[in-house]
Amino acid sequence: MSIQATATDLLTIEGLGHVYEGTEPFEAIGKLDFTVPEGAFVSIVGPSGCGKTTMLRCLSGLMKPTRGEVRLEGEPVTGVPRDLALVFQDYSRSLFPWRTVAGNIAYVLPRDLPKAERAARVQESLDAVGLGEAGAKYPWQLSGGMQQRVAIARALAYRPAILLMDEPFASVDAQTRAELEDLMLAVREQFGMTILFVTHDIDESVYLADRVLVLSKSPSTIVESLDVDLPRPRDQVSTRELDDFVHLRSHIARLIRDQSMKGRPAA
Amino acid sequence: MTVQEKERRLSSTTSAPPFGRRRTRSTASRRTTLLRGAAGFAALFAIAELVSRSGIVSETFLPPTSLVLLRVVELLVTPSFLVEVGATLSAWAIGLAICIVVSVTIGVLLGSSRAAYSGSRAVIEFLRPIPSVALIPLAMLVLGNDAEMKIALIVFSTSWPVLFNTIYGMHDVDPIAKLTAKSFGHGRLSTLLTVSLPSAMPFIFTGIRIAASVALIVAISAELLAGASNGLGRWMLDASATGNRPDLVFAATIIAGLLGLIINFLLQLIERRFLGWQTALRPTGGASK
Repeated sequence: MSIQATATDLLTIEGLGHVYEGTEPFEAIGKLDFTVPEGAFVSIVGPSGCGKTTMLRCLSGLMKPTRGEVRLEGEPVTGVPRDLALVFQDYSRSLFPWRTVAGNIAYVLPRDLPKAERAARVQESLDAVGLGEAGAKYPWQLSGGMQQRVAIARALAYRPAILLMDEPFASVDAQTRAELEDLMLAVREQFGMTILFVTHDIDESVYLADRVLVLSKSPSTIVESLDVDLPRPRDQVSTRELDDFVHLRSHIARLIRDQSMKGRPAA
Repeated sequence: MTVQEKERRLSSTTSAPPFGRRRTRSTASRRTTLLRGAAGFAALFAIAELVSRSGIVSETFLPPTSLVLLRVVELLVTPSFLVEVGATLSAWAIGLAICIVVSVTIGVLLGSSRAAYSGSRAVIEFLRPIPSVALIPLAMLVLGNDAEMKIALIVFSTSWPVLFNTIYGMHDVDPIAKLTAKSFGHGRLSTLLTVSLPSAMPFIFTGIRIAASVALIVAISAELLAGASNGLGRWMLDASATGNRPDLVFAATIIAGLLGLIINFLLQLIERRFLGWQTALRPTGGASK
């Protein structure tokens, strides 16, 4: 499924740039222009140190960019927007160890929500990530992959229009990673969510997305935007052996290698 | 592990050995430990009894243990004695409560603002080393020799551990945790109350445990040294100076020690019940990577 030209843009980034001030100013983001259409799954992939985290902080309103504008549903992002949730890479630091799994999820629900509805929302989110029984446990009693599921469930319970994910599966093993990737695809179907997914894993970026944006090293710009026309539903084995998949991943790998080589002395 | 965390671990281990608090030991080995501890006490009492009865040390200095233990039991059912213990404990409780409210509030403020913290450090570093006992004459002069004097001294001397642990705890809050709260729409105050404060609680509680034992020491010292109008210290002073009753003084000393033990035990229970999530108290084996 390709991105329909008719779909409205949920997130619009125009001329985004960020410079960290200080004795040695550092330009993390050069100039970014892209859009995330409603309902799309967009991956961002780049070499290490391409300002991915800075970009996500700017998009989520946690940081004010030096230049440019971010618009969510047409409204300029000035503070932290209600319709956006961020899933952090470091799930063990992002989940609160003093709250149970259910407590962590309930944390993001509106305070005036009636008790029964609260419990229902928590349960619905936990069921969606396959952790229906884990509500009473503490996050630190769960494995890494399960903890990241809790973080995803928390973001789902918040019911945002768009989910930003910052290398969410970087620190889990390969098997768990594949499970979590398929979980994201399932969750996206179930909740009709728009997802912006940052990763350094090329295969993952292609496997999940409708569109892959390849970033350059800092100061980052978009090197190329590629539409992924692989059939859905995707499958961990058969999708990855399609010619289109292999070509796309090789193409992106080359782009990223060229980026990483830049600025290095010739061998 | 941060420096502060280490510091807190250290300060918490000084009051209780870490292995005694973990649930890693089997009940069997736990029972063995208990039995050995009891045997140690029995041996100590037996030796003290022998030393006293055989006349190596005069009974005036060291009354026989059996007599002292009898006195302990007698005192524990003597209403007039219990009233004095109650006076000490109420000063302890009021002083500790004031200390917690004041120090945690100030600690949270100083801990969340770098400017306030560096600005207040000189004052704190000047006040902190003053031994609380050195303030007794001043406290007597200003507040007389009633409960207010004791409470003021308790508040002064116990504020430091709670204050410093609160500040350390606030500095130790994970920035990612705070960012998480912010990203889900929580403002500054809400983040402070729902993230920073719970995250700092283990530190704060360690401070409170230290403060609780310091408060008992200061309460009894103040009663002894300032000749307070009531309290366990005052009662011991009377038994010693005017009554010349070593058996009663020994018995009261043991009761003072028991008070300290009970307080520490209760606080440990509270910590396990409400702060069991902290890394040091987690049952091992439950958390996998």
